[in-house]
Amino acid sequence: MAAPEPPPEGSRPLSALLGAIAQAAFQGSAGVPEELLRAQLYPEAPPEEFRALRAKMGGLLQSIASADMDLNQLEAFLTAQTKKQGGITSDQAAVIAKFWKNHRTQIHESLISQSRWDNVLKNMNWRVDLKSQLRYIDQINTPVAIVEMELGKNGQESEFLCLEFDEAKLSQMLKKLSEIEESMTSLTQTT
Amino acid sequence: MAAGAAQGLGEGGGGGRGFLGPRVPAEVEAMARGVQDVGKEIFRRLLKVTVNALEGKDCRESVRLIAESANLSEEQLAFLISGMYTLLREALRLPLSTFKQEVFKEDLKELRIPEDFIVDFSSVVFGNRRPTSEGAALVPRSRLPSIQDFKWRVDVAISTSSLARALQPSILMMMKLSDGTAHRFEVPVAKFQELRYNVALILKEMNDLEKRSILKIQD
Repeated sequence: MAAPEPPPEGSRPLSALLGAIAQAAFQGSAGVPEELLRAQLYPEAPPEEFRALRAKMGGLLQSIASADMDLNQLEAFLTAQTKKQGGITSDQAAVIAKFWKNHRTQIHESLISQSRWDNVLKNMNWRVDLKSQLRYIDQINTPVAIVEMELGKNGQESEFLCLEFDEAKLSQMLKKLSEIEESMTSLTQTT
Repeated sequence: MAAGAAQGLGEGGGGGRGFLGPRVPAEVEAMARGVQDVGKEIFRRLLKVTVNALEGKDCRESVRLIAESANLSEEQLAFLISGMYTLLREALRLPLSTFKQEVFKEDLKELRIPEDFIVDFSSVVFGNRRPTSEGAALVPRSRLPSIQDFKWRVDVAISTSSLARALQPSILMMMKLSDGTAHRFEVPVAKFQELRYNVALILKEMNDLEKRSILKIQD
């Protein structure tokens, strides 16, 4: 621990533990069984001690993620935790800070998607065709766009929506999308 | 329609290579026979109904009115309208640049359609009575559904069960399609930018395509 720069021993198991906690709590994956985690990360710690550590770290992460703390808030929060009785060491605080810095966006994103119940636009593909002939019209030669939109909920099979747009419809659409953009810009500017 | 057997009579001597193809459709032949006994006024009303139908308008009411006032059986009326419809539909499909009025008139003459009526038909195909919405409404076109109505709402989630402070805008979109279905979905901000970018890109591609003269097939 006295050695110059490399991360203190013990930081690696902790950041692995944080990763495992985050995965189970925020990303909705099954997570690694507690006993396996302990055996891998803290083989020397007795099960109760490990359970307590895990619960403590889980609670901290939950608070940090739920408030989506920025770096200043995080620092204040972690400093308070190191001073609290039964709190964390400053080494642990550093590991947590580093972990949050690296995973904030990802965790925030998955927390947001946890409260999204509607179908979500997942992907879109398109193709521009040139219509050359129709059954009733010999020559037409107008471009037409075929747009495929993938709508789905997390973990469920997507629905594919195939739409046709002519130029007029498309510029109408673009206009509406610009309106949405404007409305979002005005929202983010006033808040 | 009962007149399947009337097909394929061909046009004596003329080789039957008119705009209707080598086999004149049964309903057109039946119309050509029936129209001889129809007065000019009724004929004009029938023509008007047919043009309206080609433009995709609802014509049930006007057909009913004609049926009431004209001395025609329902079957006769069906033959006349469907024959006129097919005849005009086939004629309107051809580009004006290559389809000549004289050819059209000649073809109708071979069908023994009275001269007066030929003039009327021809004014629909070549004159100012040509249905306006050539591309848009010439009835049943094969196409994918398109958007008929598009509504949106920008939501900002303030707080959720998993986030004390979410403050993240997201867009709720509602699309009504021409096939009658409606779809509601959420679009995260990042996806929204992608959508907007792509729509703009498609529009640009379309404009580019129109400029490229190589694709303008002309004869």
